[in-house]
Amino acid sequence: MVQFQQDVESPRQISDVAARLRQAVLDREVTPDEVLTIFDAWGKKLDARQLDEIPGIVFLRMWLRRGTLEPIIARELGPNSLHGGWNDYGLATCKAFPLGVIGHWPAANVEIQPILSMTCALLGGNAALVRIPHGLNELTRVLVQRLVEGDPDEILMRRIFLAAFDHGRRDLHEAMAQAVDGAMIWGGRASVLQVRSLPFPHWARLAVFGPRISVAAMDAGAWTDPAEREPWCRRLARDLWQFDQQACSSPQVLFLEKDSSHSTAELAPLLQRAFEDENRVHPRTIIPPGLTTAIAQARASWLLKDPAHTAVFPSNPDWTLLFGSGPEIPQPTQGKTLAVLEVDNLLDPIARLDGNVQTLGLGVSDPEKERVLAELAGRRGIDRIVKLGRMHAFVPPWDGLDLIRPMVRMVRHVSSVNEYDNESASKRLEGCYGIS
Amino acid sequence: MQLLDDKIDRMLSLPPYGQAPDATESGLLELLKEELEFACARHAGYKRYVDHWPVNYRTAAQMSDLPYLPVAMLKASPPLSFVPPEEVRRTLTSSATTSQLPSRIVLDAPTSRRMTKGTVVIARDFIGSSRRPYLVVDAPDHKAGRDSIGARRAAIQGLQPFATETTYCLRSDDNGDLALDLEKLTKFANRNRDAEILVYGFTYILWNHLVKPLRAENACLDLKNVRVLHSGGWKRLQDQAVEKQLFNEQLARVVGCDSSCIVDFYGMVESVGVIFPDCQHGNKHAPAFGHVIVRDPLTLEPVAEGDHGIVQVCSVLPTSFPGNLLLTEDIAQVIAYDGCACGRRGVSFRFAGRVPKAEVRGCGNIEIKRSAVN
Repeated sequence: MVQFQQDVESPRQISDVAARLRQAVLDREVTPDEVLTIFDAWGKKLDARQLDEIPGIVFLRMWLRRGTLEPIIARELGPNSLHGGWNDYGLATCKAFPLGVIGHWPAANVEIQPILSMTCALLGGNAALVRIPHGLNELTRVLVQRLVEGDPDEILMRRIFLAAFDHGRRDLHEAMAQAVDGAMIWGGRASVLQVRSLPFPHWARLAVFGPRISVAAMDAGAWTDPAEREPWCRRLARDLWQFDQQACSSPQVLFLEKDSSHSTAELAPLLQRAFEDENRVHPRTIIPPGLTTAIAQARASWLLKDPAHTAVFPSNPDWTLLFGSGPEIPQPTQGKTLAVLEVDNLLDPIARLDGNVQTLGLGVSDPEKERVLAELAGRRGIDRIVKLGRMHAFVPPWDGLDLIRPMVRMVRHVSSVNEYDNESASKRLEGCYGIS
Repeated sequence: MQLLDDKIDRMLSLPPYGQAPDATESGLLELLKEELEFACARHAGYKRYVDHWPVNYRTAAQMSDLPYLPVAMLKASPPLSFVPPEEVRRTLTSSATTSQLPSRIVLDAPTSRRMTKGTVVIARDFIGSSRRPYLVVDAPDHKAGRDSIGARRAAIQGLQPFATETTYCLRSDDNGDLALDLEKLTKFANRNRDAEILVYGFTYILWNHLVKPLRAENACLDLKNVRVLHSGGWKRLQDQAVEKQLFNEQLARVVGCDSSCIVDFYGMVESVGVIFPDCQHGNKHAPAFGHVIVRDPLTLEPVAEGDHGIVQVCSVLPTSFPGNLLLTEDIAQVIAYDGCACGRRGVSFRFAGRVPKAEVRGCGNIEIKRSAVN
């Protein structure tokens, strides 16, 4: 069996692995269809009870389904790309070819992110050299081991290498950067800046995701609807619990539109119940002490600051609801600490958002209002506007970027064979560009 | 207020480490409840915080249920205070790096008096009650005002009641850089060679400005009858890879004493008056007028013996600011809830470092945050 993971100690190991991966890409074209067949099998192998506790595993299984990925491939690479075909593109035809070896620097706080990042490169026909964060080493190895079972001919396994090394080993990070043709970089500001400064080849393409935060908003029609408001609270709780509210797509604040005949305080017990229920099903098993103290500080500073502030929280750091009003996003705490702010008009907070906000999770009853909110959010720099409960659904574009296309070369072929006479070519050009 | 003051004084007059844990807890619990009532009547924001606490303090059955305040809240500006400005006698400030705000602790006369007494009561249990020549390994602070005082000055002054005379053996230049005044130090040593002596300095100052220069000169003060107290933590010595054992060996060598004469104590401006010296078994103890709760970061419940957690310090001494129940940013291990071989009753514990700061990151690399405490 091909070796797919190792604790790396020297730059030479990395360059040797990269050379092997690059040769695997050159040796054989793998069409997206072949990749999907293997992914489908892999997804089924991940459907095992002993893996159920891995955060995000349900989503990963769905992500690997052919039904999920086929439309993404068609949209990003063209309708004929599934089987490696060329797509008409004006006067030319185009086909996606792999960049080569893609280096992945996933974040350490999203358990399935090394796998998700890797799959994006593999779908483009690339090889994936993945630097595994220390805390995710064993978990990622277990997940990829299931791929081994779903890939008996080692079609993808020859294109994967999980490199485990200490995040402080600059020499190994540099060796990895020098050895790749593209990179997918996920992380906090310091991590992203550090990785971007590595000596990548001048041709390497970098796709950077994060760091960002997300917000949620509900209009009065949604949160006052007696039949709907409990389900909205449950959806919001699900969005908070995934990734311990530490992903880019995790909501840090909920803006509630004021209603003349209802107090937003009515929602507090429903949110509390939804949080308690979600916590019962998905309790924390570990917490960094720094997050515990940050949560304690958030509770205290919120209540000390403003006479109008209220809060609900248990004796433990499991979750926190901070109630107030105003359109500004408070300093995020994470760790399931949600500020719930009443506003006169949802346009007020959304007009204050900027590119630091990735996702706007909405619970809105009025389609026209939602259209206006989405339009404004897009203008203010938000890249995803989704329904509450689906804030983490990993569907491209993500952070405003496609996931597969940045790591392929769209090769343009203008035929030298005189297939068209000049007149018909001119007509096609006019059709393409509206030339009159 | 007088009634509350009397009750605190009565607790201060108890033997600091002589009571059984249950008796200490029940006494502290009732007094802390009264202090919470007193505080809530004087600060609306603090009352709001206490009122939102998941457990009603009035009916709380144990000290760990009472509403604690994260110590960072004492960095508030203006400082959290339970007394009108005209009653503020002094403001203590914590040491802080340039990127951090210092804590600011307002003291009125009764709190100030109790805090001095608290330090004396505890220190007396470790170094005896006699007054003696006091060598301060620091520079005199000519610029210090009466109204404001920093952590180092507060610690130096806290031991002043044990002094017959006080000698500062460092001098500072216009930039505030410290240097050893060897002549002054030598005179002090020669004058007091056979006397019982008290020495105090911040840990990193003792190392950088006493141990290192004397070691470079291969000098020894030959002060055998000495107690050296130091505090301030080890963070600034980490870069120099100076650990406790090396520190004690080298300090004992230049002073000329046995390393058992050196006592490391933990204290914080936010809970001044309650200090935690190491006993001869290397453990720290809470006095009768205070308590330490080590909380599991996952549940915030008190940890079991042997486990690590976040330190909460409790003290009945302050009534001018909310320093009675403070969740610190330090990690400690509970050694035992009673029965330390040194004979001091109640919880014994050891510090194990600072809580790593949590940084808000979106999909961030949080490998450092993942390191669990225990």
